[in-house]
Amino acid sequence: MVSRHRRHLVAESLLAAALFSTLGLTVLPPGGAIGAAWAEAFAVTAACDMGWMVTPTSPPAYYAIELVSTRRVPGARNASGVGDVSFARSPFGIAVTPTGEYIYNVDLQVQGLNAQSRGVYTAWLTTSALDQVKRLGGLDVGGAIRGQTTWNKFLVVITLEPDEEARQRWSGPIVARGMSRSGRMHTMAGHGPFQLEPCTTYGY
Amino acid sequence: MNSRRAAAWGLVVALITGSGGAAVSQQDEAVKGASHQGKILQQQHMMHGMAPVGDGLVWRMPPMDPNMPMMPGLEASLPSVMPFIPMYGKDVADFPAATPRQVMELVDGDQIELTASIVRREISGREYLMFGYNGQYPGPLLKAPTGATVTVLFRNEIPMPTTVHWHGLRLDNRFDGVPEMTQNPILTGETFRYEVYFADTGVFWYHPHMREDIQQDLGLYGNLLAVSSDPDYYGEAHQEEFLILDDILLDEQGIIPWGETQPTHALMGRFGNAMLVNGTTDYFLEVLRGAVVRFYVTNVANSRTFNVTFGGAPIKIVASDVGKFEREEWVTSVPIAPAERYVVEVLFDEPGDVPIENTVQAINHFRGEFYPHVDHLGMVRVADDAAEPDLSAAFVNLRENLDVQNDIETFRSHFGRAPDHELELSLEVGELPLPIILSMEFERGLYSPPMEWNETMPMMNWLATGNEIRWILRDRATGLENMDIQWSFEVGDVVKIRIFNNPETLHPMNHPIHIHGQRYLVLDMDGVPNPNMVWKDTAIVPVASTMDLLVDITNPGDWMLHCHIAEHLHAGMMLAFRVDG
Repeated sequence: MVSRHRRHLVAESLLAAALFSTLGLTVLPPGGAIGAAWAEAFAVTAACDMGWMVTPTSPPAYYAIELVSTRRVPGARNASGVGDVSFARSPFGIAVTPTGEYIYNVDLQVQGLNAQSRGVYTAWLTTSALDQVKRLGGLDVGGAIRGQTTWNKFLVVITLEPDEEARQRWSGPIVARGMSRSGRMHTMAGHGPFQLEPCTTYGY
Repeated sequence: MNSRRAAAWGLVVALITGSGGAAVSQQDEAVKGASHQGKILQQQHMMHGMAPVGDGLVWRMPPMDPNMPMMPGLEASLPSVMPFIPMYGKDVADFPAATPRQVMELVDGDQIELTASIVRREISGREYLMFGYNGQYPGPLLKAPTGATVTVLFRNEIPMPTTVHWHGLRLDNRFDGVPEMTQNPILTGETFRYEVYFADTGVFWYHPHMREDIQQDLGLYGNLLAVSSDPDYYGEAHQEEFLILDDILLDEQGIIPWGETQPTHALMGRFGNAMLVNGTTDYFLEVLRGAVVRFYVTNVANSRTFNVTFGGAPIKIVASDVGKFEREEWVTSVPIAPAERYVVEVLFDEPGDVPIENTVQAINHFRGEFYPHVDHLGMVRVADDAAEPDLSAAFVNLRENLDVQNDIETFRSHFGRAPDHELELSLEVGELPLPIILSMEFERGLYSPPMEWNETMPMMNWLATGNEIRWILRDRATGLENMDIQWSFEVGDVVKIRIFNNPETLHPMNHPIHIHGQRYLVLDMDGVPNPNMVWKDTAIVPVASTMDLLVDITNPGDWMLHCHIAEHLHAGMMLAFRVDG
């Protein structure tokens, strides 16, 4: 096992560099034997058989948010997309606030948006009750944006805003929207095995 | 340990019904569905709390959140194993009162005695018979220089076979304490000689490796501290404190029984309802104003992951299972899974009382809600008088640990390569009462949280035993599962293991994965690389997550990899690997 690992040391170093670079982390060529491997790697990149290489871990599909078009906005009626939800980086692996809410990275990727002269496609997060709204910002030219939230249940809203002004709430039409997986969790009162439970007892 | 014996089901039950109408008829249908195993005591829910008839130990339902109604059809259900309390029928007055933990300062070559025995413990003003090492709660803190070897002459005086596992220590395989793998079970009255090698600087712990769900829950645990010869290994602090976090499941009659031949609570693990720090519900610490306290935090609970806060006092994370982080960081709480350890330094710069709390967002599945939940763990009283010397300037400095960085750097070439092994964490559910199966099917397509911070479905959990539940580590390459997996490595190997916690099961749950006798790095999780690593022996894998571990294979022998939720371990979630060399 070790020998195989050493055989691929060069390509591995490259991949690590690429991975970290993609994620916006600076990778400095290390010294010593590893540094030599780096130098060698840059020289032999073209010869590397990349087929064996690892697929990095990815955000859990289970918690991914499907973004669905409202079909109301010209130029964006075919919009669709996905919101990847993963724990923000933490020394504990899981990231939580002092009051126990998860700290999530939310990576949105929206397709099917035509270029707009009438405004800016803007991403928002909001609570299920719509009582709190967080502006993530305008989508980039590729339809992507990253944000973070500590809401355990939330909605994603893509709107067409008239400009890039940092409003507290959206003012333009909703292009697409989605719901965190946790939004599927709802009361059992009056449903399923609790069909005979009186909903009003529990405030529903 | 991995036995999956058929349930020893022999209860004779009485049918007591007393209501009618539509509700009952639906309930009866559910009961009929659930009675296919003959496991149902058809009696009213409150009858679970009935006094035992005769001298026998009977099941009584554990307390549950009154906001969560009993699932129809389960009111009379009981686990498929006989109830078991090791000291059932014994008089508390016949046993010595346990004493608080003492510190044993050891040097290389020392020999000590360690005895597991029955002790009398007081929890919240009530006395219980529990277990203790050397009559203490927790067991004695064994403190030795890094590199020291200490001989421990262990004696078993509890009424169950046991072993001692020295969790996290990279010691000689013969002394790892795994029954039927590295040693025979130590029967009552027998002894075993352990050579405990403190290979790495850090905080570790020891506990039984037989029926942990019972023995550990009853108090068999203690800390080990390997002390570096470098006086500056950690930053400056005024004092060091050890916090062992635990919980225990009690009701008005005492400790809720465990399963005799298999654990109950096999779905989510056994959550307690009394929080213990160092074995007490009233942990209290007095410090001076401005004190920097280094806390060594260990979670020994069967299943509960804590999110520990210190009343808003600044917290610096310093180290974890097997040494320091690459660099210190500020954190606002300490989420810690079973068997993990974290070393944090906390500055108490304001006089007054500072609560230590477990603060989580629990789930009420019935209401479909998250809700804030706080458990009081203890209190730190900060005096007006100032601590000397003033360490505030040193405290705000986050140290770069070049020794750790240089060590980890030698493994960096392995970070980006393909995994050597891929494990999928999964679950098989056998014949549980129909309402439980229906409920799990109902929930499956909806939402399972990444972490179970609280016992969300207590009745369902209690009824699920090791007879019906099989937690699975599946090798994706071979399809082999649990103890059928037999990986082989050589000393010097660096092994990458990818673990995927499959959410598409009837009841997915987080799993703290422990590897015996080696150390590992968590490289990344869910595509988020880890830029500040620390050597670990246990790490939490949330539901649906994928985690890459890099294992430094240095220690020959036969070792285990398993989930450290005690009930999951005994419901099969373990594998073995051999290291030659």
